[in-house]
This record gives sequence, structure tokens and C-alpha cells, in this order.
Amino acid sequence: MEPLIRLINISRVYQVGEEQVFALKNISLNIYPNEFVAIMGPSGSGKSTLMNIIGCLDTPTSGEYYLKGENVSDMDDNELAEIRNKEIGFVFQMYNLLPRANALKNVELPLVYAGVSKAQRIAKARQALIDVGLEDRMTHKPNELSGGQRQRVAIARALVNQPSIILADEPTGNLDSKSGAEILNLFHHLWEKGNTIVLVTHEKEIAQKAQRIIRLRDGLIEGEEYT
Amino acid sequence: MRILTEIVESIKISLDSIRANKLRSFLATLGVVIGISFVVLMGWAISGLDKALMDSINLIGEDMLYIDKWDWSGGKSWKEVRNRKSITLRQANQLISELTLAEIAVPGATFWGANAKSEGIDFTGIIVYGTTADYSLLPSGEVEKGRFFTKFEEQLNKKVVVLGHKVVSSLFPETDPIGKIIKLEGYEFEVIGVMKKQGTMLLDFVDDRIYIPLGSFMQLFGGTHTRNISIGIKAGNLDRMDDVREEARGIMRRIRNLKPWQEDDFSINETKAFEEIVSTFRLYVWGIGLGMTVLSFIVGIIGIMNVMFVSVTERTKEIGIRKSVGAKNRSILLQFLVESSTLCLVGALTSIFVCSILVFATANILPKFVPATAFLQKFLPFEFVLYATIVAIFVGILAGLLPAMRASRIDPIESLRYE
Repeated sequence: MEPLIRLINISRVYQVGEEQVFALKNISLNIYPNEFVAIMGPSGSGKSTLMNIIGCLDTPTSGEYYLKGENVSDMDDNELAEIRNKEIGFVFQMYNLLPRANALKNVELPLVYAGVSKAQRIAKARQALIDVGLEDRMTHKPNELSGGQRQRVAIARALVNQPSIILADEPTGNLDSKSGAEILNLFHHLWEKGNTIVLVTHEKEIAQKAQRIIRLRDGLIEGEEYT
Repeated sequence: MRILTEIVESIKISLDSIRANKLRSFLATLGVVIGISFVVLMGWAISGLDKALMDSINLIGEDMLYIDKWDWSGGKSWKEVRNRKSITLRQANQLISELTLAEIAVPGATFWGANAKSEGIDFTGIIVYGTTADYSLLPSGEVEKGRFFTKFEEQLNKKVVVLGHKVVSSLFPETDPIGKIIKLEGYEFEVIGVMKKQGTMLLDFVDDRIYIPLGSFMQLFGGTHTRNISIGIKAGNLDRMDDVREEARGIMRRIRNLKPWQEDDFSINETKAFEEIVSTFRLYVWGIGLGMTVLSFIVGIIGIMNVMFVSVTERTKEIGIRKSVGAKNRSILLQFLVESSTLCLVGALTSIFVCSILVFATANILPKFVPATAFLQKFLPFEFVLYATIVAIFVGILAGLLPAMRASRIDPIESLRYE
């Protein structure tokens, strides 16, 4: 099967003063459609950098990245924005919702940049909110929602464009264990429905929920296992 | 389609943020509000001036030439004009009889500050105008009530008078003046008519005049050889103006015994003189207004730029979020440009609204106390409102350019980490 994500010898180097810091060192990795992958590692292991590169927020210093067979590693800012809009759905630890916009408006946001008409935008955003179980919270603003509900809004926003991958960076890091478990179940449910999910975490119990765990340390892949 | 969606969304976002920061937005747009106010008020003043000019031109008649010792335009030196010899009645009559191209020519003489008595009212300060029956054929010769005097009355030096519109209220505040007798410098005159209201901002004295036959005027105020007569010549057609002017000039030069190398010792006045006066006036208004406008727009641009920079910094995280869900650099640029333009536009609409009220109130109230301001219009001229709006949008784009460029270049990874 053709991999959805193909990373070949990816390196990311930061210039800190005189020194060159390798956040990622020659990483090669394939992720296939409808996989549920956890990227695990302690802080400083390079997992955030890896996620930024997979999510097209950052580009590698060297190496090649193919997303759905397309070379993403040498695209410019605008092309990357287009890829993020169509192919990637982000879920962040801090939710990253627009504070002044209600749930529906937040979920509509990717569709605005995709140029979808207003009527369709509302219909799709509604459906996405129903899918995450927030049909009665559509007009609430983020500060009127609980942490778990906010993260559901963020997941709905990630889903609304039907992206190829959902990228979640410590999605339960800010939640109590009960809401955290609910969110993880939601991811599991989304995976069962055919989505490809990449989850970044430093907690082992959370990583166990995934189908495949990739361990990162000091910018290298330390090991890989299937649960 | 996509760009339209983004613009509409951006307008909504900016209205939201204006609402969220009312005081800040108000202070930021103050410069623009003042600038726009200058533009529309300036336009208003100029449109009033233009209206007054048009009224005056229509009153005098665009195809009229006035041959006079005095010069209207003020282009000649006052001393030179004052030392000119008066145009005598004999010279005026000779000119009128020799003119062939003009439609009509009407002589006129003025006496300022005459005394008149009517039923118990004694009024000094009347302007007496002696002329012929032909005066009623000029644009300014329209009668409202009664009639103008006839050729017959004129030739017999009858003691009849037609009152200017404002004179009526001074001499006959309550009664109908027609048929009444007034005593002008001790002589009894019968009132036979009242002129239409004609005064304009530039020529407000015409309503203070009274009209009597030229012969009677000479009997009353004398000076057959010294009193200055002006001759109004109606060309009848704008195309004939040049021919009529040259003919009149030639005849006058001959009558006044001017040698070929001598300059004219009389002036041929036209409505153009008024246009010149008004255009200098207009230049002042423009000059002052434009200076103030530019100054306040500079202040306005700085104010808005400053607020936009603050806004960009405050919303670093928002920019990161937008970029992470697929906003391109130019979408962010557009968003902030639309935001600063909306800010300016709201400022412009506010100032247009306030100025409209101000202007409407001023034009309704001020002339009651200061009659000379009657030329003021009640509404802002539409084209200036339009210019103001366009200028506001342009100023907004100008002021928002640098902050918007900074916003569009923000790195999404950095900004998502921003708290």
C-alpha cells in the first residue's frame, strides 16, 4: 500500500548563536492510511519538531517529505498553507480556539480559508460539532465551555475539512483524567471511522491507545512497536 | 469568490474588534474623523460660494457688459480708477445712440444714503438708482408687484418710484406701498411698484435700492456734468459678447477723445469679475482646508498605524491559529488591511453624520442672525461625501500596510506558542 506520509532522511537544524542544534537527525518514517500512530518521547526529543514538519507548519533542513505522493518539503509558504487547509487537522494541547468566536464560528474557520460558501460552511460545521457530541453547545464561546468541550470543538475544527491526517499534540495534557479518557475514546472512534491519526504525547498510557508507537529520543527514532 | 468570502469575514472580524475596543478605536480614528470633517465642510463652504456666484451671475446677466468709471475686478489701481473722469450723461446717451450690435443699453446713476419719509417713518440710507424704462428688460429688472415706470413717465421726469424688496419693510412695514406717496429728499414720489427679491451674498445691496427716472434723478441730485453714469449693455447672446464689447470700446474711446497710445479711461465690467473674486475666495478655502486636512490625516494615519501594531501584537496567537488552519500570508495581510480600512470608514461615517447635523443646523439657524450667510447650503455636497469615503478607505490601507505586513510574516510555530 502507498504510504500517506513518507519521510526520507529528514533533518531539522536550528541555529542557536554559533552552534547548530539538531532537533531531528535523518529520520525516515512511513505512515499508512487509517493508522493510529503515537509519537512518544521525553521533552526535547524532537517530537514537536517532527509534528510541525508532518503538519506542514515547518519545513525540514534536509530530506524529503511526501504527503499523498506529493513532495511537500520544497513548497513555499502559500502552498504549505493550502496543504494545511486541505490535508491536515490540528488538535493542540491548549485548544487554540479563537476566544471571541463561538463554537460554530471556530469550526467554520478552515472552511472560510477554503472559500466554501456560507450556507455550506454552516452545514458542515454543524455536522462536525454533532459528530463530536456538541450539538447543544454550538453558540457557546470557548470561555463558556469546559476543557473537554473546548477540545471537542478543536477536534470538530480539525475534522471539518475532512483532512488526510489528524495531528494531535498532547491533546489530553490540559484535561482531567475523565475528560482526557473521553477525548481519547473520541480519537479511537474517529480512527475506527477510517481517519488517520497521529498523536504526540509523553505519557505511556495514552500512547498505549494507539495502534503503533514510535519512540523518539534526541532527534532519533529509538524504537517502534505495535500494541 | 474566495477573496470575497475573506473580505466579508474580515469586515465582521474588524467590526467585532472595534466593538471590543470602543475607546481605543475612537481615539485612533480621531485624526481621520477630523480630517474627513475638514474635507466635507470645505466642500460644503465651496458649494455655498458657487451657489452664491451663480445667483449673482444670473442676476447681473451673463451676457451683460457694464461700462463704468469704476472697475469691478479690483485689478486696476484704486488711485488710477478714482482719478478717472466721470462718464457724463451726455457721453452715456451718445454711446447708447451709437451702439448697433447690442440688444439694449441702459444708463444708470446711483446716489448712496438718501433720505426718505413715508407715513411717519423717516429713513436715511436709501440707495437711489436713476435709470430708464428699459431697465425693466434686464435680468435684474423684474417687478414683483405693481409695475416699472414707462418711457413716457421717464421722458416727462415724472416723480414715480419703484421700491427694492427690502426697502418696503423699512418704509411700509405694515401697509401695501402701491399708490402711496414717499418724500425723497423733500420731493413727493408716487410708489408704482416693488421689485422682486434679488439680493445675493455678493450683491446684497440691490434690494436696498429704489428706482426713479433718470431725469428726475438729475433734478434731485444734480451734477449733469460731474455725476457718473454707468451703462448696462445687454449683448443678447454670449457669442456676440466680443463684438459688442469691441464696438462699445471704440465708441467710448472716441467719445472720451483718447489717443491711440492712451489706455482706456473707463472699465468694461462683466460677470467674469465676480468669478475672479469668488475663485480667489475659493482658493483661500481650499488652501486652508487642504493644509488642515493633510495635517489631520497624517496624525490620523499615525494613530491608526499605532493601534494596528498593538492589535497585531495582541493577536499574535490568533494569527497563528488562522495560519495553522490554512490562512495564507495574503489572507492575514488582507484581514488587517480590511480592519484598518473599516476603522477609518467607521470614522468617516461618524464624521459625515456629525457634520450633516452640524451643517443642517448651521444653515437653518445662522442666517437668521447673520443674513450674509444665507448662501450656506443645508446639505453636504454628495460628491464630497463620496470623496471623503474613498479617502478614508485609502488612508486606512496606507495606515494598515506596515502592521498588516508584519502580521502576515508572523511564523505560525512561534505564534502558537505565544501567550
